[in-house]
Amino acid sequence: MRIIIEAPQPGDEDVVIVRCSSPDQRLISMLLSFRTANTELTGYLDEKIARLDYRDVYYFEANENRVFAYCNSDVYEVKYKLYELEELFSPLDFVRCSKSMIVNMEKIEYLSPLFSGKLEAHLKNGEKIVISRQYVHSLKVKLGIEEVE
Amino acid sequence: MIKEFFISLVHYFVDITTAVLIAAAIYLTASGQQMDSIILWEILLSGFITALPTAILLCLDTKGVKTSLILWGTHFFLIFCITLLLLKMFGWCRITPLSALLSFLAVIFIYVFTGSVHYLIDRKHTTLMNQQLRKRYEKKDQTEKKTS
Repeated sequence: MRIIIEAPQPGDEDVVIVRCSSPDQRLISMLLSFRTANTELTGYLDEKIARLDYRDVYYFEANENRVFAYCNSDVYEVKYKLYELEELFSPLDFVRCSKSMIVNMEKIEYLSPLFSGKLEAHLKNGEKIVISRQYVHSLKVKLGIEEVE
Repeated sequence: MIKEFFISLVHYFVDITTAVLIAAAIYLTASGQQMDSIILWEILLSGFITALPTAILLCLDTKGVKTSLILWGTHFFLIFCITLLLLKMFGWCRITPLSALLSFLAVIFIYVFTGSVHYLIDRKHTTLMNQQLRKRYEKKDQTEKKTS
């Protein structure tokens, strides 16, 4: 595959065009990673401001109009809406698990059922989060068990 | 959301109706009563009516254990009241302290039955999901080994 980089016309925005017969998963993942890598994800913890690597985030949670990124031990506030984070990171390993939460699948150790019909995700840092019934399907899709409707 | 509601409604309708049928079969055998054909329709209707609040409850995305417990408690109380109302409406038995206690036990049985069925189904699904998760991690480990 040839790689051609051209300068856009003056005044035109930068654009990436992929010309191929059928884009494979590897190519799509690469392009999505590129888009996400360009996204600013700044975390605020008291007076501290930190650049967050999305791979370090265990889950995002919305609480009283504020959104927090839960890392291994620290919790940072992020200036994004939950739906924006979902749009940004769902092509990667993040999946909505309840109305107020998006979880990083790479941080799930294992899943277990609850008697209430929900699932419980045991995270690698020992935390447990609940996956609502409504979002189990999207998790199964991500895992390749079920197909997108 | 609407699709999820209808799926839950159908699942719980089937489970509750099966549990009510078991309970009715045990009761009729023990009491030696003959079953009228209308009772089958009454069982189906009672299954549908009790499945409705269950499907609604499952569509609610509760946050926190306390809220969940309150909702499930309310749901149990509601189902118990509906059962008593249906018993009276269909004339299955007179409402006495004993029949109320038996209904209470029957509701617990139906609760445990449907809960266990769904728990076992979910356990099967989570086993499959955990296998997929393990495969993902193994694949990732192999890729990391290759790149290093």
